[in-house]
Amino acid sequence: MNDMTVLRLLVSLAVFISLPAWGQNTGSWSVVQSSPSSKVETNLPPTLLVKGAWPSATDLTAALPEGGSLTAGVYTNQYFGLSYTLPTDWAQKSAGPPPSDSGEYVLTLLSPSDTYKGTARGSILVTAQDLFFIPLPVSNAVELIHYTKSHLQPYYQLEREPVELKIGAQSFTSFSYWSPVTDLHWQVLATDIRCHTVQFVFMNRDPKTLESQVLEMNKMKLPAQSSPGDVGGAAGPVCLKDYANGENVIERVDPVFVEHKYNPVPVRIIIDQGGSVKQIHFLSAFPDQTKAVTTALQRWKFRPYLRDGKPVEVETGILFGRTPYVAIAPQSAAVK
Amino acid sequence: MKTDSRQYVSREAGRCCAAGKATELLLHAKTILPRIVKCSSLFFAVSMLVGMAFAQTDPGVRSSTGVNAGTPLPDLAATAGAPEFFANGQTRFEQVEVVSGGTNNGLGPRFNLNQCSACHSQPAVGGSSPNANQYPFIGANPESQVIKDGIVTNSNTIPSFITAAGPVREARFPFVISNGAVTTTPDGGVHDLFTVTGRSDAGNCSISQPNFTQAENLNDIIFRIPTPVFGAGFIENIGEDTLIKNHNAIVGNNFGVSGTFNYNGNDGTISRFGWKAQNKSTLLFAGEAYNVEMGITNELFQNERPNPDEEQNFTGLPGDCLNLAGSGYPEDTTNFKATSGSNQFATNASIPSDIVMFAMFMRFLDQPAAQPNGYSTATTTVTAASISRGQTAFGSVGCATCHTPSLNTDPSSFNEDLNKKTANLYSDLEIHRMGALADNVSQGTAGGDQFRTAPLWGVGQRIFFLHDGRASDLLTAIQDHCPSSVNSIPNQGTGSGSGSGAGSGSGAASEACTAVTNFEALAQTTASGSTVASQQDVLNFLRSL
Repeated sequence: MNDMTVLRLLVSLAVFISLPAWGQNTGSWSVVQSSPSSKVETNLPPTLLVKGAWPSATDLTAALPEGGSLTAGVYTNQYFGLSYTLPTDWAQKSAGPPPSDSGEYVLTLLSPSDTYKGTARGSILVTAQDLFFIPLPVSNAVELIHYTKSHLQPYYQLEREPVELKIGAQSFTSFSYWSPVTDLHWQVLATDIRCHTVQFVFMNRDPKTLESQVLEMNKMKLPAQSSPGDVGGAAGPVCLKDYANGENVIERVDPVFVEHKYNPVPVRIIIDQGGSVKQIHFLSAFPDQTKAVTTALQRWKFRPYLRDGKPVEVETGILFGRTPYVAIAPQSAAVK
Repeated sequence: MKTDSRQYVSREAGRCCAAGKATELLLHAKTILPRIVKCSSLFFAVSMLVGMAFAQTDPGVRSSTGVNAGTPLPDLAATAGAPEFFANGQTRFEQVEVVSGGTNNGLGPRFNLNQCSACHSQPAVGGSSPNANQYPFIGANPESQVIKDGIVTNSNTIPSFITAAGPVREARFPFVISNGAVTTTPDGGVHDLFTVTGRSDAGNCSISQPNFTQAENLNDIIFRIPTPVFGAGFIENIGEDTLIKNHNAIVGNNFGVSGTFNYNGNDGTISRFGWKAQNKSTLLFAGEAYNVEMGITNELFQNERPNPDEEQNFTGLPGDCLNLAGSGYPEDTTNFKATSGSNQFATNASIPSDIVMFAMFMRFLDQPAAQPNGYSTATTTVTAASISRGQTAFGSVGCATCHTPSLNTDPSSFNEDLNKKTANLYSDLEIHRMGALADNVSQGTAGGDQFRTAPLWGVGQRIFFLHDGRASDLLTAIQDHCPSSVNSIPNQGTGSGSGSGAGSGSGAASEACTAVTNFEALAQTTASGSTVASQQDVLNFLRSL
């Protein structure tokens, strides 16, 4: 049964392989700076805050993982360069909470709207996990799917082993399982974009509805893969893990925290071609912590990263506050 | 596009499989075969008219099994002296405090109530908010009776958010109110409901209650209900590594759940007590409550506490409201002279201060006993089979991702019953982002929208749910985990204020939304002969805890 279903899926997808992938518009990056070319002395990089005494969200125009929007039945996320058409008469049940301390985002949660005429009930959850902050020894979508599959709770049964498939030019890893006692079925498809693992989690009581929704993913628009080594990225900054380490940092100033709070402060930064910090995104931080870190980061200087001999922008992650805790020692090779 | 989860569920009721008459033919669950659902169109029409009536209902407080909480650890006697310390702590927990002239002095000048066990009483001493009409019929909200019972004089008025049938509540103002307007300066402290003004043991102290009506009108007030303290010793003794390993185990879950911990500022370790997991230990929990809720200074919190705005305005408390007990500060101290008696342990137990003995009482309370074999409530009977299905469904739909069924304790120096034992607490002790449930109060490293996963042990005999007791029905409580509107703070009176400073927010949702959506995807009830779990099974399971 399992093999037949996989084959069926692959055959159906084969029809859509020729669909052109949608290239990401990179012109949006220049919008981030309010005064485009002035440097650090007078302009702090824009800081995008999440935590605090009240829930808050970003209010700048920079493209961010949590900045997706839903219009006319289409979910668009400029940061990830993806565009997903909702199933007919489905709607956004809720936008996600602010990003977590360990870099997890809920991009959107979809469920049948009041005009949905079908009887099948379910949900579609789209998440993104920042791979720089994941407290697990996994470094990409393939490893995360295998980890999840091998840690399934006993009340689930595997329906389909993990397989790799392509939607457009984008590689996905997918597997499915169900819960006999509740008769609910899940299929998960994961892919890597800008050093995040983006997951589509389809859940439905009706396996047929589930299957047809997964097949509809072929109509998704995804970032064009521009060069080898980019993790599903478009022509944006190169994402590099732990770039802010060792010899890459020419000048470094430690943040001075007013109060030591012990919460992790995960931060993503974009470094410009000259080696200065161009954008700071706080996934989770208190206001006083963002001030301290921003003040420090504006004085950091990085060695530019070269590709084909030319400096390019780099996106990387730094964890201030607590050091991360990892479940077990990192493994060397990807699990297949 | 509708986002109100309540309306969503009622549309569910209308759309298919109406009240009690679902006929679903299920080809057996062992193979993956299409499931055929039959819905009667007649019942569809009927239930549309019924509107918000659901087929699935909260069974209500479990009553047939007796009261299943409030007893000490079963083998407490194995530790010599521990039973005496437990008994002494319980007695002190039940003492009525006065301002001066008695044996338990120091109450006030501001307080919420004068007796720990009055607020912490459902279904037994150590619990939560009682009600006169629900098992075991303990009584009306004690805060609503303070004038009648002579605890305060009629210099006080009962705030509108305290009702006889409602929950015991403390009130906080998320932001400082200045000149009749809400500022952006965080407040978040407890504004005690009542004052000692006019009491015969309160001398000339004359202060007024906070202006709750103004705060309600400005939409700058939130509430907290008492947390039950059953099983506190287990929670105290769960190791850091256990919590961290449990946290890591759920990374990559398919419910969008990603919590964190509240790290205490003293030593950076994980704190676990309170609605935001802001308190590290039972001792801290006891000391804070004694001073904040009852105004009794102690060896952990030695100074009388002005109202948050008395502090902001640098006025502090008036001089004739200080040291009302007359014996100086702190008002609760170690007793250098033990009470005499023939039992050496009972004598020993009289020496520590009240807060130490409160902590000992809480620490030695056993975890509530779940009843998986079935039970009855005032309205229905629930079978073991339903409970079992519900328990599995609770995990499958994602609730158990935050409400972790059990965690193991570390070795214990107190008693064998706490030593490497399993606590069936149904909580990961993490703080999670709860969207519009946000109360805009930061505590420790918990932000305004983050709350500790409330332990569900004992929930079967609780009456009020969520941090402010807004739900008295489990189904509503579940739906409220994915609240619809931004900054919706219920029971705010006629609040038409701008609620400014409460954060523009983005309408960011709660981490629980996927699990709630999945829960709502279940059938409402389980047809007889079916083995597929329903929402009703989950409710039945919860009331078995």
